[in-house]
Amino acid sequence: MTQAISFLFWLLVVPFCIGLVPVNFIAEKKRNLGVILLAGYLLMWAVFEVITIPAVIWIQYNNFSFAMNLFMAAALLLAIIGIILWYLDGKKNVGRTGWLGLGNLKWSELSLETKIEWFLFLALVGFQLYMSVTRASFDGDDAYYVVQSLMAQQNDAMYKNLPYTGRSADLDVRHVLAVFPMWVAFVAVKADLHATIVSHVIMPLVLIPLSYLVYYEISKMLFSAKRESRPVFMIMMGLFQLFGNVSIYTNETFFLTRTWQGKAVAGSFIIPMFFWMLLWIFKEEPEEKKMKKQNAGMWMMLVCLNMTAGICSSIAVFLVAILLGTSALCLMFVKRDWKVPIKLGLTYIPNVFYVLLYLFLSR
Amino acid sequence: MWGIFLESLVIFQNYAGYHQNKFLFGIFLFFLLYLWLKEDNKVLRALFVYTPTLLLFLFFCPVFRKVFVALLNDAETYYRLIWLLQMSMVSAYGAVKLCGKYRKMGLVIMTIAIVACGSYVYQSEHITKAENWYHLPEEAVEVAELIDPEEGRVMALVPADLIYYIRQYSSRINMPYGREMLIARWDYYHDMYEAMEQAEVIETSSFVELTRSYGCNYVVLKQDRKVEEPLTDYGFVLYAQTENYLIYQDTELGE
Repeated sequence: MTQAISFLFWLLVVPFCIGLVPVNFIAEKKRNLGVILLAGYLLMWAVFEVITIPAVIWIQYNNFSFAMNLFMAAALLLAIIGIILWYLDGKKNVGRTGWLGLGNLKWSELSLETKIEWFLFLALVGFQLYMSVTRASFDGDDAYYVVQSLMAQQNDAMYKNLPYTGRSADLDVRHVLAVFPMWVAFVAVKADLHATIVSHVIMPLVLIPLSYLVYYEISKMLFSAKRESRPVFMIMMGLFQLFGNVSIYTNETFFLTRTWQGKAVAGSFIIPMFFWMLLWIFKEEPEEKKMKKQNAGMWMMLVCLNMTAGICSSIAVFLVAILLGTSALCLMFVKRDWKVPIKLGLTYIPNVFYVLLYLFLSR
Repeated sequence: MWGIFLESLVIFQNYAGYHQNKFLFGIFLFFLLYLWLKEDNKVLRALFVYTPTLLLFLFFCPVFRKVFVALLNDAETYYRLIWLLQMSMVSAYGAVKLCGKYRKMGLVIMTIAIVACGSYVYQSEHITKAENWYHLPEEAVEVAELIDPEEGRVMALVPADLIYYIRQYSSRINMPYGREMLIARWDYYHDMYEAMEQAEVIETSSFVELTRSYGCNYVVLKQDRKVEEPLTDYGFVLYAQTENYLIYQDTELGE
């Protein structure tokens, strides 16, 4: 029971409250429960990166507990700030709490057909969650990533030993900057549950719905006028995940067989999220200055998203650079606005530091 | 340059399961082409048409591949560039757009197409029924539980089929070598691995000399592993056994 409460607290309540911070700087009509949770995860993981990477590199002993205590304090502080901002916003705009819903998905207005389609989609997700708990997926990389989480939990040390053997190790630059396994270890410690169980059982229960939440937000952008098309899109997305195992390399395969590994999160959460953020920012770009100010939170989220790529995998940092670069060029071309690449480039600045650190440590 | 292009082509074919007659990428190419013709919204065109096309071009561009590999010092992960295409998302968007108001019919056709061209993930040989909450083989957990120390660490030599799992159960169990020895293309050499896995029959005296030089407290052998002379003749005791494994403890280690 205590473990369940702990999971709920650290995987739902805290990210949600943290999400209230950036969401406060987003136009009210764009806010909803899903956006808040996604924003919370992004900000939480960005903060996790900023705290954990220096601890890995520069703190010799008990670096895990040091970083985790600091992260816990920062996360709780942000969550409290989020609640305060939400309270103040509520006081200022009494009665306007419509954004604490699921966006413009109004259940009672949906036709029976659309409701059935939504049930079909939920059944697909439910099936994937059921299988993630009852089926074990063998992947050799677990001997690295899962053991990194376990070593942090059991030995209070981050990246000090080789996961394969336990021997002490030099800094493995390619992996030490991608601290996602340490976040898994943090969750495991907080819930007092073995990190391997958290990786293989708990993480899919969180990360699979989170990814579908991103696809749902994308569907809202794609079919803003045709709400009845959204469940069809979502069912197809669910089917593509289920039948996308055409090789061991696809992001769909990673999504359902290696869900807990940072690279899977990069492929099925971070990259789709870029599409969502870019749609969000550019598809309904406001003309008025006031509205532009209100959308500052979206740019904050894009910065956090870039940073989050870094905790998933160091290669993801390069991948998102390519994605940002190509999409910025294409958006500049269609919008005839040369400022687009500059604006998007600015959101990548934290990753420039990441790359410089990577190159510095690789010397 | 042509050679590099062909390498990229092979990577793409392997990614897409082309040789296994999987054609989800065909669905993607079809809807990408459809969106080229029919997408009117500028931003959607930029993100769902131009960007994937440009990324596809970059993927096959030899100069780009050379730069990517040189920067990351890693050719093995080049396939992840294809993740950026988000084939599923582009296909699903194109399909819903094409279906228009005939969405029920469209959904049925797409379901058939995805099932026919794809591969069901839970049929993968890498997926089995979970035997415990760790999602590790039960016998690996059993062995690890038996040798997991309450305090400090132990060194254990285990057969290749347990290597992936033992330290996922307990990081207090060290091993003289690990997964790196099982990946042939990584081309590692380890004398203990040679003695344990490569010899048809374990030469006990030299084997024991090695286990002691690596400080192995435990040696786990498969029940049917051939050994020249029993380990018990060399100061080991049979500490425990499971259905398929014998666990020996070295009583003379460090003497």
